[in-house]
Amino acid sequence: VNTRSASAPGDAPPTEGAGRLAGIWQRLRHLPRDARDTVFQLVLIGWSIAPHLLHLPLWCTGMVLAMLAWRGRLAWTGGTLPSRWTVMALLALAAGLTLWSERTLLGKEAGVTMLVVLLALKTLELRARRDALVIFFLGFFLVLTHFLYSQSLGTGLWMLVSVWGLLTALVLAHMPVGRPSLAQAGGTAARAAVLGVPLMVLLFVLFPRIGPLWGLPQDAAGRTGLSGSMRMGAMAEVANDDSIALRVRFLGATPPPDRMYFRGPVLSSFDGREWTRLRPSFPAALRPRAELEVRGEALPYEMTVEANRLPLLPLLEATPDLPGAAPQLDGWMLTLRPDLQWQVDRPVGERLRVQASAYLDYRHGPREDIVGLRDLVALPPGYNPRLLTWANALRNSPALQNADTPALVQAVLNHIRQGNFGYTLAPGAYGEDAIDEFWFDRKLGFCEHYAAAFVVAMRAMDVPARVVTGYMGTDFAPVDGYWIVRNSNAHAWAEVWQAGRGWVRVDPTAAVAPDRVQRGQGLPVDAGLVGGAMRTLSPEMAAQLRAAWEAVNNRWNQWVLNYSRGQQFDLLKQLGWRSPSWQDLATTLILLLCAAALAGAAWAWWDRHRQDPWQRLQQRVQARLAALGVDVGPQHAPRTRAARVRAALGARGEALAQSLEALDRWRYADADAKTGGALNLRRWWTQFRALAPADGG
Amino acid sequence: VTPAEASVAGGTARSPASAKVPDEGPGRPPSLRQRVNQWWLNRLPHSDTWLLTQRNVYILPTRAGLAFALTLMLMLVASINYQLNLGYALTFLLSGAGLVSMHLTHNNLRGLTLHLRPAAPVFAGEAALMEVVFSNTGRVRHALALRRLAPEATTQDTRDGAASWAWCDVPAQGQASSHVGLVPPHRGWHAVPPLVVETVFPFGLFKAWTLWRPAARVLAWPRAEHPAPALPLSGQQAGDEQHARAGRGSEMDGVRPWKRGDSMRQVVWKKVARSGEMVSRETAGSASREFWLDWQYCGVAGVEQRLSRLTAWALAAEREGLDYGLRLPGRELPPGQGEAHQRLVLEALATWP
Repeated sequence: VNTRSASAPGDAPPTEGAGRLAGIWQRLRHLPRDARDTVFQLVLIGWSIAPHLLHLPLWCTGMVLAMLAWRGRLAWTGGTLPSRWTVMALLALAAGLTLWSERTLLGKEAGVTMLVVLLALKTLELRARRDALVIFFLGFFLVLTHFLYSQSLGTGLWMLVSVWGLLTALVLAHMPVGRPSLAQAGGTAARAAVLGVPLMVLLFVLFPRIGPLWGLPQDAAGRTGLSGSMRMGAMAEVANDDSIALRVRFLGATPPPDRMYFRGPVLSSFDGREWTRLRPSFPAALRPRAELEVRGEALPYEMTVEANRLPLLPLLEATPDLPGAAPQLDGWMLTLRPDLQWQVDRPVGERLRVQASAYLDYRHGPREDIVGLRDLVALPPGYNPRLLTWANALRNSPALQNADTPALVQAVLNHIRQGNFGYTLAPGAYGEDAIDEFWFDRKLGFCEHYAAAFVVAMRAMDVPARVVTGYMGTDFAPVDGYWIVRNSNAHAWAEVWQAGRGWVRVDPTAAVAPDRVQRGQGLPVDAGLVGGAMRTLSPEMAAQLRAAWEAVNNRWNQWVLNYSRGQQFDLLKQLGWRSPSWQDLATTLILLLCAAALAGAAWAWWDRHRQDPWQRLQQRVQARLAALGVDVGPQHAPRTRAARVRAALGARGEALAQSLEALDRWRYADADAKTGGALNLRRWWTQFRALAPADGG
Repeated sequence: VTPAEASVAGGTARSPASAKVPDEGPGRPPSLRQRVNQWWLNRLPHSDTWLLTQRNVYILPTRAGLAFALTLMLMLVASINYQLNLGYALTFLLSGAGLVSMHLTHNNLRGLTLHLRPAAPVFAGEAALMEVVFSNTGRVRHALALRRLAPEATTQDTRDGAASWAWCDVPAQGQASSHVGLVPPHRGWHAVPPLVVETVFPFGLFKAWTLWRPAARVLAWPRAEHPAPALPLSGQQAGDEQHARAGRGSEMDGVRPWKRGDSMRQVVWKKVARSGEMVSRETAGSASREFWLDWQYCGVAGVEQRLSRLTAWALAAEREGLDYGLRLPGRELPPGQGEAHQRLVLEALATWP
């Protein structure tokens, strides 16, 4: 039995898949205009939402894709839209699911989730033009929300396409006649956007960068990077944030990467769940002070710190408060805290550039045991009983009964080394006694877990200890002379106090993941399929590409992302202001905007007096012909002029006459021939001018 | 291009033929808005050609434009609060594009020349289609919307306004035309109501428009009575005619020089070919089928009713191929037939007195 007898021989496509694709393409090209516009909008919305799908809750991704597919099918088949009640029910469902997965309807994550769902839902009731407008405005806002997650060059380009598409769709919605092509609408949109670029640059450069208008929601957690505190077990997983935290350039010698510790918040108080700054229980006189002593060679360096929204500068350890070495910043008050961390008077919301000198050889902290150190052996009662018992047993073991602090440190580090501990960025969530669970049961964690457990163990043995957070290490190679420290370089280590020496740094993570500490590298980000293949095929090329990409990215970061008030003031200084303020910025901006508005109005006014290009051309032609001795009037059509040229100049004027006749044909041809672009007036004039020189040749 | 249908309220009551604005409701004083509109309109000259320049193209943000501004404000606040430089860039890019679109919208109208082609006369109550020609010396213009300005129906128009707009695109260096409809409610000359040409292209954030008072007028013939009684051929006339038909049929009984209104069928083409002069058959029928549409003898009272019936009869007489004349008090048109004669008769009926 021939099962294929149904299909007529000869008209079967070469391959069914290609045939079907071609069919779909044909269908797409000949969709009714409304359906085509809808399909375009759906593709556009899909494109704009796509980067969010990675971090949206699974239900949201599924729902959005289903709704877009549904709407696409309706557009394809010309079906009717769902009723308003269906849409309302879907909206209620989405709100409920958001509440369930985010536990709130406010805040960044919940807001983005709802925005994405709303946008997809709105496509289901695209009836009137007003609905389309709602989609565009929601779409513009959606584009902005992507920048909350990433402001990389790639995101910028991706979103540029989105914006262009949205503007194109907006233009399409306002072209009710006929079936304008997407290219036509896209051209108009691009033209408006490109013409608007000078205004955009002006606003971007001069719009005063003012601080946050109200307190920032602290929901940017879950990424590597610094924060003012450390909560145990709250983060099941941290995303490796490859964004840049700071760049450092060494003016003299460069220290080895494993000694580049950038000191951030020092966390000395532990309430069982959260590590915070020291909450002293003794008067100031009794508290430990910095007592920094530096020796050896100074390492001068220049550092640009990205906005970290913390009131501190993560400077290289140890940067002393000495003239010539201490950092200086106009408009900021910098102080060295007793825990050796550099503090500024307000959160850093912009990129800062500082110069300072560091000493790798230093001692700090009280040399003698003082009362204030009691705060640093305090542990919250009732938490982590197993670790306390274990530490006591260790302390009282025969080998360590009279051991000094270094011996105890070695003993605990040995336990980590030999105890089957593992390093991972995704250890899963920990419970109430997070440190016990980590130390005895799961044995999986990242630097925070190791530092915290180590400090608790040391304190249980009555050794003062604290957690230090900051950055450790840099990228392999400098870019443009700068060593790049990323948020994925964020690190936590420990300091223990030793009689006679003061505070000594101990990095317990080194005991389990020596790579992390020795090379100073953050754990490599999963490169993905393409990146992985690239790396195996040609490591050198991959490295080169990466370096080039870094250089581009560096420029992007410097010129776009890190443009802040400091740069604005620098610009004004270059323009002649002695001590610019943000009011100066605002005044300059307003004046320039007024000038631009006046220029626009003047152009519109001048445009009124502009002549019809055709008439202007005819006048010019008349003048040229007069110079050649051919007398024509303003009322004569080009073909009449051609005849006169022939009469006056004979064979010599044949080329001129033909040129005029071509112009005549173009002008009086029907509209179809004209839009074909057979003749460009400007080009025609250039050719004509060459044939008929002004001096009469 | 869809013709814009505009229905204008009003009965058959006579009103001055050149009323500028349709009547407002009795006893209702014009609102401030209407008075301002009226004052604005009165500033404009009457002209059949309207060159759009900066002086007569107005522009304001639309509702969508305000919503867009609000969106931009929200985006700016978000950018400030989260210190997103890329957010600033996006906000300012859109602001720049939005402001440029203001110029593009204004440009879309500026420099166009509008020309109104006079409409053919229609019967009262039927739609007269007026053609508006857009001449463009510049680049292509998109999405120009044309409609009548109807001050008395402003609120209604904005509600179902989209339907009453006629849209067109004008190619670069070219022309396009669009139609606007007018339904004259009663006979007589009607001023073409003020027209509005509007555009929101490209983004719909700004609306540029112009108000235009064309000078042209539209003639409305009286509404033909329907159904109308049979032609009032007097008994003697009718009898004569029947007799004539019975006796001689339509035999030729002579020729006479061609005169205006003779149909092509009456021309004696053989003679014309021979002599070179236009001559027509003179049949007994045509001679005797001459009658008068008379104001005095039309069987109804009332000015409009009489005119209505006379109109219906004039149409019937033309259909039947009769020679008909018109007698109105103070006006008389000699009998004749043909399209030109019919126009004369209808125009007389329309403009009487």
